[in-house]
Amino acid sequence: MNVKKWISVSLAGVMLLGTLAGCGGPSSNATPAPQDSTAPVGSEAPAPVSGGTLRWGTDSEPTGFDPHTNSEEASLRVMNQLYETLVERNADMTIYGQLAESWEIPDETTYVFKLREGVKFHSGREMTADDVVYTFDRILGKTEAGDIGALGSKSSYYGGVTSVEALDTYTVQFTLDAPNAAFLGNLTSNYGAIVDKDVIAEKGDLMRADGGTGPFTLGEWLPDNYVTVSKFADYWEADRVSLDGITYYLIGDEAARLAALRTGDIDFASLSASNVSAAEKEANLKVLSYQTNEYIAVGCNLSTAALQDLRVRQAISYAMDRDTIINVVFSGQAAPCSMVPPAMGHWSLDVSDMDLYKTNVDKAKELMEAAGYSDSNRLSLTLAAGLMDSLRQAAVVLQQQLAEIYIDLEITNLESGEYVDIWGKMSTPEAGFDMMIVNDGAGTDPNRSISFFFGTGSGANVFGFSNERIDELCTLGIATTDEALREEYYNEAQLICIEDCTKICIASPMKYFVTSTSVEGFSPSAADSSNFRDAYLAQ
Amino acid sequence: MKNYILRRILQVVPVLIGISILIFAVMKMIPGDVISGILGVEATPELRAQLAAKYGLDRPYLVQYLDWIGGVLHGDFGESIRTSAPILPEILSRFKVTAELTILAAFISWIIAIPLGVLAAVKRNTLADRFVRVFALLGVSVPNFALSILLILVLSLAFSYFPPLGYVGFLEDPLRNLQIMILPAAILGVTISGSVMRMTRSSVLEVLRQDFIKTVRAKGASERVAIFRHALRNALIPIITLIGMQIGSLLGGAVIVEQIFSLPGLGQMTLTGINQRDYPVVQGCVLFIAFIYVLVNLLTDLLYAYIDPRISYD
Repeated sequence: MNVKKWISVSLAGVMLLGTLAGCGGPSSNATPAPQDSTAPVGSEAPAPVSGGTLRWGTDSEPTGFDPHTNSEEASLRVMNQLYETLVERNADMTIYGQLAESWEIPDETTYVFKLREGVKFHSGREMTADDVVYTFDRILGKTEAGDIGALGSKSSYYGGVTSVEALDTYTVQFTLDAPNAAFLGNLTSNYGAIVDKDVIAEKGDLMRADGGTGPFTLGEWLPDNYVTVSKFADYWEADRVSLDGITYYLIGDEAARLAALRTGDIDFASLSASNVSAAEKEANLKVLSYQTNEYIAVGCNLSTAALQDLRVRQAISYAMDRDTIINVVFSGQAAPCSMVPPAMGHWSLDVSDMDLYKTNVDKAKELMEAAGYSDSNRLSLTLAAGLMDSLRQAAVVLQQQLAEIYIDLEITNLESGEYVDIWGKMSTPEAGFDMMIVNDGAGTDPNRSISFFFGTGSGANVFGFSNERIDELCTLGIATTDEALREEYYNEAQLICIEDCTKICIASPMKYFVTSTSVEGFSPSAADSSNFRDAYLAQ
Repeated sequence: MKNYILRRILQVVPVLIGISILIFAVMKMIPGDVISGILGVEATPELRAQLAAKYGLDRPYLVQYLDWIGGVLHGDFGESIRTSAPILPEILSRFKVTAELTILAAFISWIIAIPLGVLAAVKRNTLADRFVRVFALLGVSVPNFALSILLILVLSLAFSYFPPLGYVGFLEDPLRNLQIMILPAAILGVTISGSVMRMTRSSVLEVLRQDFIKTVRAKGASERVAIFRHALRNALIPIITLIGMQIGSLLGGAVIVEQIFSLPGLGQMTLTGINQRDYPVVQGCVLFIAFIYVLVNLLTDLLYAYIDPRISYD
């Protein structure tokens, strides 16, 4: 009997603890935060409400907040609230002045920016032309020893800047070594964020500090748990900002993020296509989507003899059924594309009528047979996948599709560190793989989409593609600001890259944010997907 | 006793040296490196060289190892390459989270496993015993990540409940801290209770068959005294060994549960470090975990002597 009593007391203890856990639910939901309420159905758009903290469930942990050295996504989400650039892009990819009020281009290699007056850094000090000069000195590695500046960004973004001078307190002049049509566009990158030199002098770098002018200031950061930013009272457009702040909670598991959205414990999260349909069924959630400027593609290692044969590479493109890949991997929410995806507007070539984008297994087989392959003489290729679920899934679909044209694809899913390492070697036999499936960001200017990924010897041209005409077109395209002429050059370049099939582009996916219905005033686009200046939580 | 403790602590030294060499070598051998991770698509040979020089990764491995281990011996675990934050203070603050999780999980597993294990042994081959055995089997075989996701989904769908976000320490706000910790601790507790339950059952059963229990009962002692004072106490040694090992491995970071519940613990820190190839972070964490593991094992051994006075370390 006594044993029973002992056990029942223990069990009661367990249940008590369980109840204690349960107690957290109602009490935390009952906090009078405005974001828990949903917008009245069918009412007029509610007026912006000041106050409220947006709770964002993020999928990965930021590494730090130095805009000049860091461009990883989890960090960017936070940095984009802290820092601003001279110019920024609208959703339609046109450029507007942010910290620069206006600009002039007296000749093709000179840009003069008139800065906004009264813009304050988060330290309270006014931003002047000297800060712009310091920023670019830092980026270009011209500041004192030890400051390595913006690793890498200088070569691919600001390589042609020969000098940056302050003409007066609010005027700054950039001189380029050659005309560069992408220059203004490159200034919109987070790499061009204007920073507070005093903060860098004090802290060494900005990884754990805040030297920006943006609408929010960096608050607490508990690694692997949360980061907070709060409204900057002296922001130059303070009237425009409604939110008190944003808290980024790390919820690494996607199912848990969806659960937290359902229960109203977070207001905002990014989800993959496969979970978006579940979110759409919830009355208190809505889905915001936009076409990204990213795309997935499969690249051929040109050191593999079989893949040096153009017929084999083209056969792969013919055998590829992009619609099936889009349906299986992206739930139908992606667009077939070239290396300049549709989010880039008029720069993007319409691929729907191109032969190489229409699935044609017969033609693919013909090409393979002409190259000497058949059912009895099949081609075995190895393909490296990894990094993202979408790449792993697309690889499997591709494997089935290529099996029909005498290609046996052996897929290896690599862990991310190894994937990145092998990515850099994909033009050599050392890579150990014949093909790799990749997810690339095309940037905001076609110059980056093409010359950075296809120019001979360019940083991201990892598959060893080289074509004289492409290099020539890139040089021509960057040297003129005549948009019609540039479009002509880049269209021709896209066609050459598509025909060559060294890197076969598959599709550009949509990106999703799932938010509570109370989140208003936020409209993401490929040009700017983290602008919360106008966002608010409706009552 | 003192001699024994001293001897055991001295034995730890070669173990830790071995582990430090092993983890250093493993981190160098696995493909991928921290510089590729930082530079991404912008990696050029010049930038790689510049960064390697900055972090001292261009020096011979032996020099790098000696430099690191020299720092560790002086209590300096170095700085994270990715975040430039000092490592040891971060490990210690993460350890508090993991230690709390472990203590709670262990406590929950004991209050489930030991009474149920004893019940199963006493009521052998009854319905209660079968129930306990099925429960134990589930505890042993259901992985804790599956249970975690399942509970999160069930609680959110059925009760609109999600564990509170934003970690706070126990000392700052005990109630909120417990609300955050209780679910992951309960899941870990349940999953480790299975093996403790089985061990308790078989160990108590074996003791109950021994003659001295008969003597105790013959002396007219109550069933409670017979079971708890005599049988359980004598059955505890294997149970304590098992619990010690489990606590040791939980303190090393309940990696997956910490990740699902976003707890800023040691396991999460190690995992992030591995993903980012942040060599000094991973090396520091693994060395610290190894040290804790060895320490827990030592404490377990010392506990034997306390439970069973016949065991002496002199």
